[in-house]
Amino acid sequence: MDSDNIEQLLEKYWNCETSLEEEQQLHNFFRGGSIPESMKDTAELFRFFETEKNKSLKENFEPAVTKQLRQRQGGKIISMVSFANIARIAAGILVVVVATYFIRQEVRKAYPQEAQDTYTDPQMAFEETKKALLMISNSFGKAKKEAGKMKMFNDAEKKIQTKQSAEKARI
Amino acid sequence: MNLETFQNRVFPVKNKLFRFAFRLLGSSEEANDVVQEVFIKVWNGREQLEEIQNMEAWCMRITKNLSLDRLRQQQRRPTDSIEKGMHVQNETKSPHDTIEMTESMKRIGELMARLPERQRQVMHLRDIEGYSYNEIVEILEIDMSQVKVNLFRARNAVREKLQKINAYGL
Repeated sequence: MDSDNIEQLLEKYWNCETSLEEEQQLHNFFRGGSIPESMKDTAELFRFFETEKNKSLKENFEPAVTKQLRQRQGGKIISMVSFANIARIAAGILVVVVATYFIRQEVRKAYPQEAQDTYTDPQMAFEETKKALLMISNSFGKAKKEAGKMKMFNDAEKKIQTKQSAEKARI
Repeated sequence: MNLETFQNRVFPVKNKLFRFAFRLLGSSEEANDVVQEVFIKVWNGREQLEEIQNMEAWCMRITKNLSLDRLRQQQRRPTDSIEKGMHVQNETKSPHDTIEMTESMKRIGELMARLPERQRQVMHLRDIEGYSYNEIVEILEIDMSQVKVNLFRARNAVREKLQKINAYGL
């Protein structure tokens, strides 16, 4: 393409009247070697456009993004906000469970459990129970005997009291 | 849509998304993060993907929105860090060519970065990515006359500044 045509195209270009195809022709022209001195500035600008068009992302971009997308493939993503809420509730439950465990341990230490059943043979257990009950019964018997003595004292006291009141009345 | 279909349909536009995000943010790291975010967003909404007519334009629109959100959050101008991004990979030029061209490329990059946001967006989409006016309307969600006015102003502003720099070294 000769310089006159290029001049005309450039005029259209500055007025924003060129089509994409015409602009491509300009790009092709300025990519070539023989650029007139008068078009040096414009050539610089078109070279800039070409250079900019070749800028690209780093090579590791695609694998990194693919990895991220794969993680999200399962469907809905749990947002960080809801995850934080779940974590908060879980931490609360954990604290309650741990606290309950330690309090129970403390309570057990403070109030040890009563003697546990040591007999496996029912007959033996029966004999032992009988022995214990007899012992209680004997104690009750003894207590009754002693209480009998107390009654004797009471009776004697009453007799004295009646006698004294009778004498007072006579006087 | 499964992952393989997604990779075949959406992944090929990754560099276009990256360049657009970079143009808006001026940082390759942030542009990289935005593209990742776009892909995750599109993947999460993959059920609706079949209904979208121009998927590429749709992804570009998400890229624009996410980039602008970031800019608003940071409340800073992208021109501050435009030079930081100059190390971004260049696939076709040899190291020798790159060194030779760096100065003029850097200068034009700075000129473009100083353009008003809308002009910069339109110029990038048309002159670097080669989108049609209709596609630009769809991506930027503005009307055709605005696209043309902004492109006209952008091209002529860069042209004038470039002429001044080359003529007077300004």
